[in-house]
Amino acid sequence: MTRISGRILTWTFLLITAALLLLPIALAMLGSFKTNQELNAGSALLPKVWQLENYLYTWKEAKFSVYVWNSVIYSVGATITTVTVCSLAAYAVARRSFPGRKLLLGVYSAMMFIHMGVLTLKPAYQIMVTLGLHKSVLGLIIMMTGAGGTTFFILYAFIRSISKELDEAAMIDGASSFYIFSRIILPLCAPALGVVGLFAFRGAWNNYILPLVFTMSQPELQPITVGLANIRYGFGGAVQSHLMLTGACISMLPMLLMYILANKSFVQMNVGAIKG
Amino acid sequence: MIQKWKNHAEAYLFVTPSVILTVTLGIYPILWALRYMFYDYKGYGEAKFAGLYNIKRLFRDDYLWDAIWNTFVFASGKMILTLPVALLLAVLLNGKLRGRNLLRGIYFMPTIFSTAVMAVVFYLIFNSYNGLLNQILNMIGLPAVEWLNMQNAMLTCIIIAAWGGIGNYMLLFLAGLQGIPKDVYESAELDGATGARRFWSITIPMLGPVLNIIMMLAIMSALESYEAIMVLTGGGPSGATEVMHLYLYKLLFPVSTGETMAQDIGYGSAVAMLLALIVGVITGLYLYLSRKLNDIYS
Repeated sequence: MTRISGRILTWTFLLITAALLLLPIALAMLGSFKTNQELNAGSALLPKVWQLENYLYTWKEAKFSVYVWNSVIYSVGATITTVTVCSLAAYAVARRSFPGRKLLLGVYSAMMFIHMGVLTLKPAYQIMVTLGLHKSVLGLIIMMTGAGGTTFFILYAFIRSISKELDEAAMIDGASSFYIFSRIILPLCAPALGVVGLFAFRGAWNNYILPLVFTMSQPELQPITVGLANIRYGFGGAVQSHLMLTGACISMLPMLLMYILANKSFVQMNVGAIKG
Repeated sequence: MIQKWKNHAEAYLFVTPSVILTVTLGIYPILWALRYMFYDYKGYGEAKFAGLYNIKRLFRDDYLWDAIWNTFVFASGKMILTLPVALLLAVLLNGKLRGRNLLRGIYFMPTIFSTAVMAVVFYLIFNSYNGLLNQILNMIGLPAVEWLNMQNAMLTCIIIAAWGGIGNYMLLFLAGLQGIPKDVYESAELDGATGARRFWSITIPMLGPVLNIIMMLAIMSALESYEAIMVLTGGGPSGATEVMHLYLYKLLFPVSTGETMAQDIGYGSAVAMLLALIVGVITGLYLYLSRKLNDIYS
């Protein structure tokens, strides 16, 4: 008897939690097909008529085509730079002994604990101004590149778990370091690279504060997160609830798609964060 | 000898991009703030040396200490709401359960979306006037609630933070639970230990080290988060949800929020230092205390 009531209790808890966590997402998705009036006046859960025009309007008139394009460029760019920079460094630190190696590891792990918040962006912005990159896509991609942190440590731990005999054998055969790195280590790292790549992509796609600060005077460079939050602060006066929800869904859709396709990697990347 | 240095040079070549980025975007800003906290610098014109002025000002700034207090309320609220639920979910999903992978996928889903984007969605949900949640409450015959007023705004922010955090901590707990050997549970079961007994006598102690890391991550991220609050309430109404890192943002980039606050980089640097120190001391204290407690109990 207690067994059955225990099971009922368990499942009630599991299902209610699942419903509460899904509710905001569902409300956003259903709302994105409603008219502004329907949203403000309150109506049934499902839209009366599915307003596909919302998406067309948001895409064209509210400039989301520009925002999405910018987001794609930043995310793809930052993913490539992050993975490249971190895998190069992780390989050297994991496989070579050189003066300063310990220091580097120490500094990189210390940096994970020192956070100056948004202050970091002020001097970084000045550096970009000096380099003439503060009004460019490239500047933003560089700023979004994670050079150390979790990505570095996950790759570092992964490369250390690869048998050393492989690259030693190649070295005896006269292979250069870069050859070993690109032809032996990187292919063996593929699963880890996928995981940190996804990590970097999610980070860049969802990033808000950094592009907000960097594109304040350049609306044409804004990614979707910044563009959407701007509607929240008024877009032509009246609150356009339906546009906000449609915009939010346009931002959520690619992540959702990736999540469904690569669920395992998403799970691994978070676990790697505590094991790495 | 030459070969050795050639090898070193090669290694340096590999780490160079990472080191350049870390130095310019990670270490240099810290040194920059260490310098400007002693200057009177408003972001334009010349920076004038101001001695300890900014640091003295920290102690007189009641608004800052209110924000720090709000941050503690927010962080403890978030952790109290998030961690027990996440742990319970993890324990349940760790057992034999039909639909385990699907449920795990659902619980983790909120964490893949942008905090800022979800804050926009939550703004429409919790909006007092014709917000989606109040519409639902009306439909089932309950009175509408002013979710974003002085009294409730902080609680609403905590709920939203918990919504985004539960899945993440559930996964971290699950990873820890999977490290506990199954036969420990089996022998406990043979000895007649009930579910609750097994939880307190096996799960919690054996989760020990992982639990410490998770707690530390939770403390740090809760104290440092402000993105969702910034988009949802902007710290309002009248500072009710002003958290410390949001205040720092307003000191450094006052243009975007429409705030009346004036940009003050010298003082902002001092505030940033204080905040880094606060988070550092609290996580350090936590690690120290948990180690002490471990020594007592083992």
